[in-house]
Amino acid sequence: MGALILYPPDRSGVLRVPGVADYPARVSVYAVAGAPGVRVHVADLGLACCAVEFTAALGRGLLVPVADGDPGQARVLVVSGTVTDALAPAVLAAWEEMPEPKVAMSFGACSNSGGPYWDSYSVTKGVDQVLPVRSYVPGCPPRPEALVDAIVQLAESA
Amino acid sequence: MTEVPRQARGVIALDPVSCTSCMICVRECPDWCIEIDSHTEEVTEPGARRPRYVAVLDRFTIDWGLCMYCGICVEACPFDALFWSPEHDYASQDAGGLVHETQRLADWLSSAPQR
Repeated sequence: MGALILYPPDRSGVLRVPGVADYPARVSVYAVAGAPGVRVHVADLGLACCAVEFTAALGRGLLVPVADGDPGQARVLVVSGTVTDALAPAVLAAWEEMPEPKVAMSFGACSNSGGPYWDSYSVTKGVDQVLPVRSYVPGCPPRPEALVDAIVQLAESA
Repeated sequence: MTEVPRQARGVIALDPVSCTSCMICVRECPDWCIEIDSHTEEVTEPGARRPRYVAVLDRFTIDWGLCMYCGICVEACPFDALFWSPEHDYASQDAGGLVHETQRLADWLSSAPQR
């Protein structure tokens, strides 16, 4: 398995939400501890609290920054946090912009099903209503270890 | 599975023997992610004035895609049938795979430290 990359919304690192806002996205490449050869390109969108777990994975050395990563090798879009109906078109745009082959990972209860907001008028009831999801990671939020395990699981099944 | 603290809230294990199908967890759950099917059985004991009726658990499921891991069900259970387990490595390839049936939930018991 080569590079597993979480795709940036666009090359400038900004996710544009039509009519709503520009979402700043920090784009970096990481190696996964315990999974040699796997590279993760992270677009840290910070949609909701799941983003904190992403940072926690960095703090514990589960994800290790790589200096010479190539964002163009994007393979995996990780959607973490609450996807609202207003934001959904931007998430879909980021997905459609990715080159093939690509897979999507849903990280956390909100992007899995709407989670605690399952009855909300404004929250998308799972990002799989917008794009095809290959891996659903349960948790509210999932532990940083769960992120790493799911990435390794994706790499093994690819 | 990557190592985590043993008291971590990874998944909730079910002891089907202790569960009385009282439905308290189902009603307390903020996400409505627990489902219980049960039926009532008549138990006639020798010498008893009248038969007893007991609830029998048929099916207990938790939808981990919905669960917000608040632990209210664990706290609310009057019969100690629910326990936290640190297991977290159960990502699924389809949304339906996040719905764990009775046996799958019972299998988590072996890793539940409070058990």
